[in-house]
Amino acid sequence: MVDLLSILITGAMVSAVYALIAIGFTMIFGVGGVLNLAHGGLLMIGAYVFLAATSRIPPVVAFVASVGVAAVVSYAMYLGLIRYIEKDVVITFLATLLIALLFQELVTMTFSAQPRSLATLVPGTVQIAGTRIRYNQIFGFVVSWVAIGALWYYVTRTGSGRAILATSMSERGAMLTGVDISRVRAETWLIAGALAGVGGVFLGSLQTTSPFMWLDPLALAFIIVVIGGVGSIKGSIVGAYLIGYLETLTVSLAGNGVRGVFALVVVALIILFRPQGLYGREFIE
Amino acid sequence: MTLQDHITRRFSEANRYQFGLLAILFVSLSTLPLWAPITGFGGLIYPLALANIWAIFAMGWDIISGYTGYISFGHSALSGAAAYATAMLATHLELPLAATFPLSVVAALIVGMLFALPSLRLRGPYFSLLTLVGALLFYRLLFVFNEYTGGELGMSVEAITYDTTVLYYYTFVPMVFIALGLLYVSRSNVGVVLVAIRENEPAVESAGIDTTKFKLWAFTLSAVTMGVGGVMLAHFYGSVDPTTMVILDRSIEMIVMAVIGGMSSILGPIGGAYVFILLRDTILPGTLGLGGTQRWFALWAVALGLIVFAREGVFRKLWHGLGEQGSENESETE
Repeated sequence: MVDLLSILITGAMVSAVYALIAIGFTMIFGVGGVLNLAHGGLLMIGAYVFLAATSRIPPVVAFVASVGVAAVVSYAMYLGLIRYIEKDVVITFLATLLIALLFQELVTMTFSAQPRSLATLVPGTVQIAGTRIRYNQIFGFVVSWVAIGALWYYVTRTGSGRAILATSMSERGAMLTGVDISRVRAETWLIAGALAGVGGVFLGSLQTTSPFMWLDPLALAFIIVVIGGVGSIKGSIVGAYLIGYLETLTVSLAGNGVRGVFALVVVALIILFRPQGLYGREFIE
Repeated sequence: MTLQDHITRRFSEANRYQFGLLAILFVSLSTLPLWAPITGFGGLIYPLALANIWAIFAMGWDIISGYTGYISFGHSALSGAAAYATAMLATHLELPLAATFPLSVVAALIVGMLFALPSLRLRGPYFSLLTLVGALLFYRLLFVFNEYTGGELGMSVEAITYDTTVLYYYTFVPMVFIALGLLYVSRSNVGVVLVAIRENEPAVESAGIDTTKFKLWAFTLSAVTMGVGGVMLAHFYGSVDPTTMVILDRSIEMIVMAVIGGMSSILGPIGGAYVFILLRDTILPGTLGLGGTQRWFALWAVALGLIVFAREGVFRKLWHGLGEQGSENESETE
């Protein structure tokens, strides 16, 4: 029973971070039709900015800084490159993947390929029902949910947020109601970048921080989005919890070596039998 | 009928400039080991021998992804499956090449079908991402079953030869035959249907053509090509391991080659492979002296630049440039 409880708790913590990562990924796809394969790279940038900044400034300030940098990099990526090529799906796809590889090499050059450990935002541990949990995990859980809540509030209750939601539902419809599509897209990249920054810092401190840390979360984000349905925030949260628990269960039963393998199998099955995801719509060209 | 007429009628409507370019390239490449050592380009034989194998991969990717627009991000899993099949059959069962070669191509075909059957129900990014996940899964499984696959270190295979001249022809000749075969298919009605699928699949379906059948055939052709290339790559290096064969970067390299050469042209990807491998293995590390990480950074940056600014492909631009040249001259003489 203790084991099960421990799985429940650890799974809940990590799933919240996954949800955050997946939401940024799905937002960009929903609004612009762009699959941003550099999303994992933005996570990595968040984690490494945090690593570099914590040697000089307190962790909380460094956290804000890394979220800011990830958001700005994402925004600059859109304005500097993606908006010129986004009509060509294949080129955009490939370009974002190459950008992720460029980030990887840039980080390797600056910080070496060795995995690093991040400073903890909130040090200490606590026992909950016999399971030792780091405050950092709890903090990650809380911050992720606050961010998700804030995003939900923004896109459903405020004017400029609802423009994002409208654009993801029907671009033509949004345009007819006077929404400035290009502004909405740029804003979405900014928000997604910020979410990636938050996710990166927590993922980096809960798992590993290395120049290769972009790939697994990217695959996870995609898997979650496919399970939940493209463009659906609710779907992303459900998908994240499904995958988060599945992964925690796999790792605790079969060890770290098979991390992710079952998640990949599950997504292959879901994509086969329900291509539109749990809450989403099928991609139609 | 002259040879030129015969070839151009078979494969394309090339004018004499384009035909001349092809002829010059073919002759200089097929005699490379003869002239390269004398003119001081002897160092090119080995990288170009490798480039021939990568040209096979790039063409194999092109026939499914370039033509039908179903972009696969997991083709390194197909070539990797063949390479690992070769290594595992040779090591664990001690089979000779005559047995490992066909079996390895079958292995690539099986993995290809595992990709294709579920994937072909999906379109656009879903297809791409599923192939990406497939390649990641394959990569992971190599570590999970490390007692059979040798894990991170991989396994050793018998190297074909250590003579670079022989090695060059071992890769050049199959590459040429594969290119001719794929060109033949792509210039036939099949190629037309594949391109039509890329442009408007529902329209092709409503014309009464079973698109799934065509996509499966294209995938089969692609998988066999990848299988042949995978076996060759295994014997070229004399070893197989996850990083040189299967890791996602290898899939990306194939795509980059095909795209910078010019997708859906078969010949373009060969040029793309030559440029990419020379850049990666000779120009960046040798001529410019960039080491390790800097080399990769420069390589990806160049690739990104080429993809963004020469979307049609460098070789396609060159080809069409020559085509216009020809038509201008012809109208002058008339």
